[in-house]
Amino acid sequence: MVDAYYITAKQLAKLSCETLPEELTSAKHMIYSSPATLDFNSPGAKGFGVKRAGLAIPGSVMLLIAPGCCGRNTQLLNALGYSERFFYLMLDDTDIVTGRYVSKIPKACEELLGELAQKPSVIMLCVTCVDALLGTDMERVCRACEQRTGVKAAPAYMYALTREKRLPPMGLVRKSVYSLLEPQQRYSRECNILGFFSALDDGCEIYDLLSQAGIKKVREIGRCKTFEEYSGMSRANFSIVLNSEARAAAQDMQQRLGIPFIELTRMFRLDKIANQYRLLGQAIGAELDDTEYYEKTKEQIESFKKKHGSLTFAVGESLNADSFELALALIGWGFKVNEIYGTVGERNFVFVKKLAQLSPDTRIYSNLSPTMMNYVPSEDTDAAVGADAVYYHKDKPGADFNGEEQPFGYRGVAMLFEQLDKAIDERRSAR
Amino acid sequence: MKKLLKHISPLAPDDSGVCAVLYEMGGITVICDAGGCAGNVCGFDEPRWFKKRSALFSAGLRDMDAILGRDELLVKKLKTMTEQVEGRFIAIVGTPVPAVIATDMKALERMSEKQTGLACLAFRTDGTKLYDHGEQMAYHRLFGHFAEKKLPVKKGRLGVIGATPLNTGETDSRAMREVLKEKGWEDVVFFGLDSGADDVINASECERLLVISPSGLKAAELLNERFATPFEVGFPFAPSFDISGKKVLVVHQQFAANAVREKLSDCDVTVASWFMMDKRYMQERDVRITQEEEFSDLCENGGYDVIIADSFFRRAAGNFEGRWIDLPHFAAGGRLND
Repeated sequence: MVDAYYITAKQLAKLSCETLPEELTSAKHMIYSSPATLDFNSPGAKGFGVKRAGLAIPGSVMLLIAPGCCGRNTQLLNALGYSERFFYLMLDDTDIVTGRYVSKIPKACEELLGELAQKPSVIMLCVTCVDALLGTDMERVCRACEQRTGVKAAPAYMYALTREKRLPPMGLVRKSVYSLLEPQQRYSRECNILGFFSALDDGCEIYDLLSQAGIKKVREIGRCKTFEEYSGMSRANFSIVLNSEARAAAQDMQQRLGIPFIELTRMFRLDKIANQYRLLGQAIGAELDDTEYYEKTKEQIESFKKKHGSLTFAVGESLNADSFELALALIGWGFKVNEIYGTVGERNFVFVKKLAQLSPDTRIYSNLSPTMMNYVPSEDTDAAVGADAVYYHKDKPGADFNGEEQPFGYRGVAMLFEQLDKAIDERRSAR
Repeated sequence: MKKLLKHISPLAPDDSGVCAVLYEMGGITVICDAGGCAGNVCGFDEPRWFKKRSALFSAGLRDMDAILGRDELLVKKLKTMTEQVEGRFIAIVGTPVPAVIATDMKALERMSEKQTGLACLAFRTDGTKLYDHGEQMAYHRLFGHFAEKKLPVKKGRLGVIGATPLNTGETDSRAMREVLKEKGWEDVVFFGLDSGADDVINASECERLLVISPSGLKAAELLNERFATPFEVGFPFAPSFDISGKKVLVVHQQFAANAVREKLSDCDVTVASWFMMDKRYMQERDVRITQEEEFSDLCENGGYDVIIADSFFRRAAGNFEGRWIDLPHFAAGGRLND
């Protein structure tokens, strides 16, 4: 038995994305089901996986066409009120070899409509690794279903096998959920925010800043209650993309609907947030005054530090942030980060390099490594951020920071410290 | 339409059943999948996951692994892992991916044994069958492989087969142990629940076997044949209900449902199960349910006053207007006992 594998930021920064150690490369080893892996492998269990995401369109229902094992954990979504929106066409062993079930899908759609009091806006046809391997032409299947039922059908590809492809399942499903938007007259004072399936936190300053710039209507799929509201997204003058997984959807909207997009990144370093807003202002031809938000957030961080001291954090990846960027932010504010449980890739290697300069001894673990089964929590951690870090450090205060209300900008930073403050206070009062 | 579920979500699949039996056996279990099946087991069907450690992993297959059938890579990853994580044996659990590409599980078993030096058991599950099928395979192979030696029988030792959370709604044996203690059994081993591979190896020490789910029958018959260990079936942990003079439908795994029936006095009881039912323990009107429509029809037109079943099935009961009494079954509704 070996100890849980880790590499320090300094050691890792000397390598490159192409020369990562095998332990940090998921294709090279078996996968340990840590809490973060479960979010990654089985996101239906919490948050938005392909199944729940496919139902982001108001009034939609889903037919999951799969062996029973692929739909089993959907039961967790029943508690969130989805039970009447899911239907299952179960495949048997002959089906998965011959593909004979494909011709039955339109009939299944017709039959499920008989169960519904109202005609759905769309039937999402969710398919799995079986169809990835059989090469099922889902566009054609969707057309056949539409012809038979008169209801729109769209594919949701739950292709776990293709998770590390250029367009992974969560990118594809975003493209699918916006695919029903149709061209209409666009309005200069309306925009979309793309990237998440739930809305940004109500207190996020981006709404105020966009209002300052003359934007009267901001649409997000997580706020659309009806199909009409959803359809309104094609009125937008432009879209703001906050998550790179929505890039393919934004490109598709640009091509089909003529809606251009601006890409921003969720970051926690205040100077970077300020800089992004400056660039956003330039892109839309307005000056966005974020001074008040900047100062207020800075004060909140100082006040947290004054109250709790210079804490040492363990940062996970099962959270609404990039683990490495968040770690950099924490270090920048004068805290320490001793451990990060994260997935290193092209997207965040630049943060690893910066981390190596500021905190070279920070230990970087892979949540996916089998050796994490042998992980022993470090004594030098004061608090944890992220559901996985909280799991590893059960005896320390921690904030999951993975709620449905999406953090962004200064409000995101404020949410982080509010949750940490609460977690630390609760732990203290429990003693 | 057959195989269309309109009111319930899928029941626990065969791969979850194999994993449930092997969970505490001290082996290294690899689910041969892209990640989602392991996620389903660890995140849903295996309630012990965050309580008791187990070397249960996903093979993390990617499309090219499946298209090219890269079994050597899988075995290489397995070998590396045996150097990192302790395990007494290896188990490879099939999913839809190896089923579609027709992976030769037997060959995989041999290759793994050769490379790692550990015994390997590969299970041809494919996620289309139910958990009891997987449990049956796992119990049978486990006892077949490890329980070879005839040891002196320990008087008063009872071996329980079938005690998985999927069957019992329990994540440890405490409550069930108490029940059996009251019945005079002081030395009880619940195979795979608070017990490991050693107890399987020493299975011949048991004076008697108690099979609490049909999934354990085949293994009990094997032990009976091999060591002449007598076995009986039953589920002494079933709750009692204060009902009499009613027409009742009980839905659970067969032995649990039978036990509920035995406790109902003066009632006309039918047992139904979505899972395997052994004819030897069925009564004339007992029913094996294979489709949601069959279940709806049974509830609506069976003339029952009372249905005792997991409330998970309530939505599929159509216009049944009688009394519904909740009887949780983890393999259906995913709820543990209170």
